[in-house]
Amino acid sequence: MRLSHFEALFVFALIVSTVFALITKNTPREQLRYGVFVFVSFLLVAFVVGWIMYPLPL
Amino acid sequence: MEKSDKELDSTASPELVRKPINLGTTLAICFAGWLVPGLSHIFLGKWIRGIIFAACVLLMFLLGLGMHGRLFDLMIEEPLQIFAFIANVGVGLPYVLAEKMGSGVGTMSAVTYDYGTTFLWVAGLLNYLIILDAFDVAQGRKP
Repeated sequence: MRLSHFEALFVFALIVSTVFALITKNTPREQLRYGVFVFVSFLLVAFVVGWIMYPLPL
Repeated sequence: MEKSDKELDSTASPELVRKPINLGTTLAICFAGWLVPGLSHIFLGKWIRGIIFAACVLLMFLLGLGMHGRLFDLMIEEPLQIFAFIANVGVGLPYVLAEKMGSGVGTMSAVTYDYGTTFLWVAGLLNYLIILDAFDVAQGRKP
């Protein structure tokens, strides 16, 4: 199986945000809101960190 | 200002928080949840939550194996690997089965090796969190 970096990140964020939302919140509405927040945060932070690292000669 | 436990207890809806199960049974339920991810919530009557947890942990574990990730054993000569082992073994029975089947050897030359290994660690760590959640539910601390 060969997932791209973004595909792996997407699946990782989806699974982790689902579990976090179900564990930390009690009502379905709260779980949905928190799950979407965590999922979007994962993707946003990855993009921001990726762009910050872009000019670095690694 | 944060509310104290007493205030939270008084405001909690009585039908939301269950009566605590005795500690021995709670630990047995947690052990079942460690062996098979999500089983502890199913035993507590939270079917949907249990099935979602099982799907999440098992999917992450299988993806980790599919991406040529490595499962770590308990090795005395490599003491720092114990942390990786603790993370991996959190998945329970699937870890044992994968080890018996010779999966999870880890192909370092594979592009996805690091991703796969991380997926395998996180699958186990998520299951620890799920077990702790089941403990709290069984003890009546949360609905």
